[in-house]
Amino acid sequence: MIPGKYRSVSGRAANNVNCGLHLVIQTSSLPEKNKVEFKLNKDTSSFPGRLSQHDLERNYSSRQGDHINLVSSSLSSFPILQRSSEEKILYSDRLSLERQKLTVCPIINGEDHLRLLNFQHNFITRIQNISNLQKLISLDLYDNQIEEISGLSTLRCLRVLLLGKNRIKKISNLENLKSLDVLDLHGNQITKIENINHLCELRVLNLARNFLSHVDNLNGLDSLTELNLRHNQITFVRDVDNLPCLQHLFLSFNNISSFDSVSCLADSSSLSDITFDGNPIAQESWYKHTVLQNMMQLRQLDMKRITEEERRMASVLAKKEEEKKRESHKQSLLKEKKRLTINNVARQWDLQQQRVASIATDEDRKDSDSAQDPCQIDGSTLSAFPEETGPLDSGLNNALQGLSVVDTYLVEVDGDTLSLYGSGALESLDRNWSVQTAGMITTVSFTFIEFDEIVHVLPKLKIKFPNSLHLKFKETNLVMLQQFNALAQLRRIDQLTIDPQGNPVVNFTLWKYYVLFRLSHFSMQKINGTEVTQNDMIMAERLFGILAHVASSELPQYRLISILGDARKKQFRYLLESKGKKPGIINEENNDSKRPVGENTNRATLNYTTREFYNEKLEEIKEKKKFCKTYIEDLVKEATEINMKNEALQKLWPQMFIELVRDAVIEIRNKNSYMKLCLQQITDQK
Amino acid sequence: MLSPERLALPDYEYLAQRHVLTYMEDAVCQLLENREDISQYGIARFFTEYFNSVCQGTHILFREFSFVQATPHNRVSFLRAFWRCFRTVGKNGDLLTMKEYHCLLQLLCPDFPLELTQKAARIVLMDDAVDCLMSFSDFLFAFQIQFYYSEFLDSVAAIYEDLLSGKNPNTVIVPTSSSGQHRQRPALGEAGMLEGVEASLFYQCLENLCDRHKYSCPPPALVKEALSNVQRLTFYGFLMALSKHHGINQALGALPDKGDLMIDPAMDEELERLVVRSKLHRTPWQHRAKEPGAFGFQRREKQEALERVSSASVPTPYHYRWEPRE
Repeated sequence: MIPGKYRSVSGRAANNVNCGLHLVIQTSSLPEKNKVEFKLNKDTSSFPGRLSQHDLERNYSSRQGDHINLVSSSLSSFPILQRSSEEKILYSDRLSLERQKLTVCPIINGEDHLRLLNFQHNFITRIQNISNLQKLISLDLYDNQIEEISGLSTLRCLRVLLLGKNRIKKISNLENLKSLDVLDLHGNQITKIENINHLCELRVLNLARNFLSHVDNLNGLDSLTELNLRHNQITFVRDVDNLPCLQHLFLSFNNISSFDSVSCLADSSSLSDITFDGNPIAQESWYKHTVLQNMMQLRQLDMKRITEEERRMASVLAKKEEEKKRESHKQSLLKEKKRLTINNVARQWDLQQQRVASIATDEDRKDSDSAQDPCQIDGSTLSAFPEETGPLDSGLNNALQGLSVVDTYLVEVDGDTLSLYGSGALESLDRNWSVQTAGMITTVSFTFIEFDEIVHVLPKLKIKFPNSLHLKFKETNLVMLQQFNALAQLRRIDQLTIDPQGNPVVNFTLWKYYVLFRLSHFSMQKINGTEVTQNDMIMAERLFGILAHVASSELPQYRLISILGDARKKQFRYLLESKGKKPGIINEENNDSKRPVGENTNRATLNYTTREFYNEKLEEIKEKKKFCKTYIEDLVKEATEINMKNEALQKLWPQMFIELVRDAVIEIRNKNSYMKLCLQQITDQK
Repeated sequence: MLSPERLALPDYEYLAQRHVLTYMEDAVCQLLENREDISQYGIARFFTEYFNSVCQGTHILFREFSFVQATPHNRVSFLRAFWRCFRTVGKNGDLLTMKEYHCLLQLLCPDFPLELTQKAARIVLMDDAVDCLMSFSDFLFAFQIQFYYSEFLDSVAAIYEDLLSGKNPNTVIVPTSSSGQHRQRPALGEAGMLEGVEASLFYQCLENLCDRHKYSCPPPALVKEALSNVQRLTFYGFLMALSKHHGINQALGALPDKGDLMIDPAMDEELERLVVRSKLHRTPWQHRAKEPGAFGFQRREKQEALERVSSASVPTPYHYRWEPRE
């Protein structure tokens, strides 16, 4: 029985004759074999290979009467096939040599009108001796040992060629078979699709169970409706959109893992049935809806009809995927931009540090040309943010060409963390932050900003982000323990992280204890990730307690007041300078700073003034000092003059006293004349 | 007051010797700066306070460096304040780097120059790597010498350089050896030239220096004592000897003897009180979670009582009380 699939050659179905040899060409591309409906004599010969002519004669001629004779010719080594004339007349156009243990194709004489030839289940290694059968329409060589397609060049009428389960390594020598309708090459060792582009009438091509790794070179197969590629190692598929009639494509059990590798399928309008099961792609979560979305023309997937419901779901899910991809693309763009900005900030920071360092050394050398050095540093950046030159999406790259990397600072809000990079970022604290956002921020991180600059904005931080409990400092030039005094003005800190990078103060042995001591009123819980224990607090108190005591109780009162007053005045000044403040809030702040909540007042005098402010103050005092100096000098001059006069008086006084007494005594010596003198003096006065 | 010495000096010189003018100027300057605050409680009080603090040595706290080094008394007070405040660090046994000591100095005097600290560190480390760790007592004594006698030391350095290069006309011995003698003198340790200068010659120059100049220098007799044991010495060796000499330390009067450096009973007592207070002083949110109710209430009272006690027990130097502190 010719299976219905292949039936187009002859309308006439051959009968099953339950005897002897059938001229039945039965092949299937499916693993299960059709029943062979005749009984074969059990093979008693010892070799499965070559049959002696004798045996054959014995078997067939004795049992089945006058059937086929395979007579060895004396001329060639091939057996010669001879059929009885009855057979010839009965089955004139078909010949079946199934399971005949043939190792070679026998010479078939006198049968040149044969149309169907069946060599299934033999051991034939080469296709030979059939060139004379030029009317052959169907040739079945399923399950042999053929290693090469050859010997077919005369079979110009051939329509069905079944070469499944052989050892064919290459598709070749099919040039003349232009009428080929069905080509079955399953179960071979073919690695490449080639030499079939001329088969424009080919309808079915079976290349299952081969060694194909990719599919292309399919152009020219203008009639192909079914292509079976199951059980190969295919990773990508091309050229399928060049097959105008392809309806069924079986790709089960291959190595396809993404839809991109089979993207040409989307362009094939004729495809209606496709299988992908057994591929890695079928395990993906997005498999079904991606396939459905990209191949709207499909009716059946993996041997199951596609319902409307499924299609709808597919389009919905596909849209969601698209959204997600867009989002992630955007995210990665943003991240890239951020990374570039941070690199830029880092570079600027390094330049700045170099400049400062070189100025410091230049001052020693009395060299004024310090600007040149920083420019030569481009090559060797000191920052620990090396530019990653990892591969970027080409799309990303293109998008970023447009971005200018002139940004010198970066402000980032990520849930509960506010990150500031670069000193320009400090201005962003002036922005109008929504109460919700500002209230959520619990961590503030400063990077690449001078600590002295941060000190100025701490009051703003206190107001705008009242819930910030964790401060992080990295590359902020913390060099002195004193600088920690500035943090005391905040409302509360639970955690402090000082990154060793760019903060030399961390190299000091006592820095943690000093922080705990100075900021003891915060009762910090963690410093640099490690919990603060009671012992730490006690140690801090032991180390620096006396400092606090001295700073508070031994300072004269006026100094206390002046130092505290200074600090308060500074804070007040910052508050006034910030824009858009309502008077009510200022008053509140004033009250707050008058009585710092919980602060140990004995530490309050330990303040930090940034270098510039300090120098400013000293400058201001110079005038006063000058005045004081002159004032005191004047006083001293006066005092010394008076002293001199006093000393002179001391020296002269005894003499003067004696003279006074002597004059008085001389005057009074003569009582009468003295009385006259006095009276006269009185009258003169009137 | 009316001693003959005093009357012997002309006025300005007397004032200058006692640095009276410095203090007067500074007092008036402070007055000007804090006009508003001081006017509240009167100028007379201010002056009393000021000069009392000068006497006690607390006037230099948190002042600028130019004032701190202005007079020997200021320097002594500063040294003493530094010792008292950071004695606990030394007691704890921590070895710190020069930079860290400098930080501590800056806590008391914000613009203290780094060079002085560096020079002091060099004395301790004998001019070796300046990043080594130093103990508190070593640093403190070296720092004392460096800070108190800084001008003197500068001149000594100049003299030393001169002697090394043989410029002094009195020189007979040239320190660099021209013969191979130095190789037969392993006692001096270094290969190559003989180190330092000859001690007696050096001392002669120092004596001249002390006579010539008016700024403070160590008592020559004690310097002679310090130099008596050595034949030759290097500059830093000399400074080290000075810093370790008990007599000079006592002559200065700022710091106690090395053996007593860590002892200060009054401060220790105060410290204990502070530590206890800090132990009890728990923040409300930590505290209330653990000890609810009456017990917590009790605790707080006790803490308050302690505070009152401690502030009362601090001997107020003045006999009048200010407004009650908050």
